[in-house]
Amino acid sequence: MGDLVDSMLDLMRRLPPIHVEENVASLVAMCPDYADDLLGSVDQPLKVMTDRATGKEYLACDYNRDGDSYRSPWSNEYDPPLEDGTVPTPKLRKLEITANEAFDTYREMYYEGGVSSVFLWDLDDGGFAGVVLLKKILNASAPGEPSGSWDSIHVFEAAERGRQAHYKLTSTIMLQMVDRASGAKDESVTHASARGGAARDSQGDAKREGKVTLSGSMTRQTEQDFPLQEQASHISNTGRMIEEMEIKMRNLLQEVYFGKTRDVVFDLRSIDDLEKARRQRELQKELVGFIKR
Amino acid sequence: MDDADRIQAASKFLLQSPPGEINDVLNDVRNIISDDDSLQAGVLPALREYNLAQFITADVPGHQHQSIVSDAARVPSGSSDEDDEQSQDRYWDPRSRTSFRFDHLTLETSDPEHVEPDSESEPFRVALENAALAYLASHYHDGVVSVFSTPGSASRFTIQIVANKYNPNNFWSGRWRSEYVVDTGAKQVTGRILLNVHYYEQGNVQLSSTHSLALALPPAIAPGGGAAAATKVLALVEAEEGRYQASLNDTYAEMGEKTFKGLRRALPMTRSKLDWDKVLGYKLGAELTNSKAGFSAA
Repeated sequence: MGDLVDSMLDLMRRLPPIHVEENVASLVAMCPDYADDLLGSVDQPLKVMTDRATGKEYLACDYNRDGDSYRSPWSNEYDPPLEDGTVPTPKLRKLEITANEAFDTYREMYYEGGVSSVFLWDLDDGGFAGVVLLKKILNASAPGEPSGSWDSIHVFEAAERGRQAHYKLTSTIMLQMVDRASGAKDESVTHASARGGAARDSQGDAKREGKVTLSGSMTRQTEQDFPLQEQASHISNTGRMIEEMEIKMRNLLQEVYFGKTRDVVFDLRSIDDLEKARRQRELQKELVGFIKR
Repeated sequence: MDDADRIQAASKFLLQSPPGEINDVLNDVRNIISDDDSLQAGVLPALREYNLAQFITADVPGHQHQSIVSDAARVPSGSSDEDDEQSQDRYWDPRSRTSFRFDHLTLETSDPEHVEPDSESEPFRVALENAALAYLASHYHDGVVSVFSTPGSASRFTIQIVANKYNPNNFWSGRWRSEYVVDTGAKQVTGRILLNVHYYEQGNVQLSSTHSLALALPPAIAPGGGAAAATKVLALVEAEEGRYQASLNDTYAEMGEKTFKGLRRALPMTRSKLDWDKVLGYKLGAELTNSKAGFSAA
């Protein structure tokens, strides 16, 4: 019944991203047999946890989960503690430690705050896979000020081919922005009313309040080959790929969030008077006809 | 989860449908529930709630225009059989003085009947309707407006506007809803503007905005004022909606400047991408970095 999973995924592509967690929970309750398929395919906002050993924050998702516990990339410990939780092989763990340090630098350079985590695991065919997670939350500095959150989930697979390595990357960015102030600001009306001046005398006792929410996620995939000098090259290779992808996707998000959604609104209602524009066009046509004659 | 809980969960999904996508959501839910009989009867209340809240438009039987199906359009049920939900689903279009039955699943109208309007409120309602239609043509590319009087009141009128754009081929849809309750007795207008936009090409991005307002009605506006008073009411609406749209531009600018940039920079402070060999070098320890530096200097 791949069919059923397709329907669930289609549903998640349509329902408001802001409610993704409760909607996924609902679907899991409705179809418990498909819980793993669903949880493995639908990205949800990353949870911020605190490593008990180091006090450092890390991110929790399906990839560092074992049962009800999550593994910290800093101490390699599970929380709540697990006796026999899955951990990477010593060789891969060594790479994981270096990767966490490198992406911590990346996070500081681009996010100037937030939390990052990298988790690696061995694949059956001899290669390995990993996930690079980045999250930043902006709280409203005062009531009415905007707030937001950014979650990056980069899942990659690495296959070594001699002195080369092939990488497959799937990146999802979840972005949410909320502004409560919209329309409530009481600046003077700059739009002179075309139909009598009724607008102006009502300014004294007008009350307005509102909220604007932009939320969602976008996913992109890419594949690339890089030379492989040493094990640590995996980190610079995926680092370059992820950096490139985030730059590309940030532009894309900007276009969709601030361009597309706004265009649709202004396509629904026009600020300019359409009747007036229509009359003007007709007048122009008449004039052109008149000149030609 | 028992059947009732499953229907309940399915209903919640339906109520969250983006503009123009209720059938897609319904198809997904059908597949997930896979019990058409219990689904169809079970989700009818959710479909009704969705349609009424979303100002779904209906083709008025025997007329060339559409009207809004909403709570304000509901014809009070005369039927003594309260359980017969179908008989309650009658709505009216004041513009054509027609009531009709509305099917919340197929969105089809049937069984038209003439409705005689309330003689006291009708003249000003018609004046508001004419002004509203003119306003609609001025600012909406493809909108529908309905103006309702309030049963038992000659001073309270509801103006509802809806505009939809569905573009599934390019993976987006949008809906503008606005509503104004004009009370010439209390000299007040209360209103709200609701926006929903869905963009879903390789992703799922949604804009959702709510805006509510309360304005004093200038004393000159009274039902006795006829067409001139009605035009003034719509001038108020025009000013409010223009102002809201302009403020939305400001909100976009603010979100872009403060929130978006504050979450993630376009480039690091250095204005160049990371030097990953260096990043690893620093992290692998000072010794290695020093020896590398020694090499390149040599």
